[in-house]
This record gives sequence, C-alpha cells and structure tokens, in this order.
Amino acid sequence: MKTTISQNGKKYNVVLTGRIDTTTAAQFEQDMKPLMDIENGDITIDCADLEYTSSQGLRTFLTLQKKVMTHNGQLVLTNMQAQVKEVFDITGFSNIIKIV
Amino acid sequence: MYAKKFEPIAGKCPEIIEYLMASPDIPEQENLRFKIQLSIEEIVENIVQYAYENGAGHVEVSTHREKDDLVIRFKDAGIPFNPLEKPDPDISLSVIDRPVGGLGIFICKQMMDEVCYEYKDGCNILSIRKKIVSE
Repeated sequence: MKTTISQNGKKYNVVLTGRIDTTTAAQFEQDMKPLMDIENGDITIDCADLEYTSSQGLRTFLTLQKKVMTHNGQLVLTNMQAQVKEVFDITGFSNIIKIV
Repeated sequence: MYAKKFEPIAGKCPEIIEYLMASPDIPEQENLRFKIQLSIEEIVENIVQYAYENGAGHVEVSTHREKDDLVIRFKDAGIPFNPLEKPDPDISLSVIDRPVGGLGIFICKQMMDEVCYEYKDGCNILSIRKKIVSE
C-alpha cells in the first residue's frame, strides 16, 4: 500500500496504490493524517490503483470526509475500480462521499 | 477438509487470512476472491481482537465445499459473542450522523449468501456460505 500526496496551494492530489487490508490499514490511516486538519482544502484522491479496501480503510475515508466538512473543504474520490466501488455502495458511503 | 488451528492468535490476522485464501476450495475468479477475502478479514479481525483477553486463545478455521457452495467456518472458545445480534447500520444517515466503524459484519452479510452463528460446547461457531458459479 502506497500513498502519495502532492500539494499545489489549497489543492491536494492523493494517489493510492495497492490494498488497504489488515496489514496496511494502520499505515493508511497514518498516511492520511496530514490531510485531516487542512482549512478549505480541495482534496482529490485517485483510486485507479486501489485494489482493495476492508472496513478499516472505510473508517479512514469516513473520518477524512467528516474532517474535511468541518474545515469547509472538499473531498472527491476518482477512478475507483468496480469492486472497491461496490464496497462503497453497499455501505452507503457512495451517498456521503463524492465519487466521480 | 482444509483446516487449521491457530494458537495463540494475537497478531496472527495476516497469517490466518493468508491460510484461508490459499485453500483449494476458494475459487480463482477475482471478483469472488475479493468478496471472500473481505468477509474473512472482517471475521478474523473480530476474533483476534475481541474473543480473548490479549489474543491468548485459539481459533480453528476450515473450508469445504457443499455442492456449489463454499463454506468457511471459524470456531473459537472465547467470550460468547453473536455478531448477528447486532443491528445493521443505518446507511441512510448523513456524514455528520454516521458513526465511524461498525461495518465489518454488515459487509460480510452483504458479500456472502449466508452467515450463521451458533454457540456450542463453550465455543463460538461462525459459518459463512457463498454459492460458487463457475464461469
């Protein structure tokens, strides 16, 4: 699991690669920490190479969405693979996190 | 029967999941493996974290086929706990009201065709079942 964050002003581009599972979920949570307290941040997470997420990964996505809203920012997930999208769909996360 | 006992189980999530996913009963289709792994992972994490104090107990895991069905079973002698008694999360809540966590067993129920729990002879026995349709 690899998380790459690049910043351009208030725009943050995040690229996720690999699997968020029992061995990597804690690392993923750590990696996302810098994004949790940005004011008015515009965060885009590219999920094209995200192959898998367990419910632990979902926890981090929801926590991030809550934080971003608190800080008047925006969060968008892009290019999600069908199987990962299904996990977001059945848990209702597709309705509370913007996925394009 | 493909089966193994793990003891103690503290820190053994990856090992147990890997063992199960290597079972010859688990199909090769990637979309099914995804659903199966997701379900296994949620259950194994629950057992390793909560069944015993400090994970100092055992879990027996097994897989087998019943006709078209894949059956995976988890048996531990820890604190009696029926995960199916827990109400499903309200997935219609807004971001603010939505609690973080508590989705594991719900995801498992959505991904599998059947999830069964019984408490027998001092053991929690959780079985999951998925119909395997060959391509």
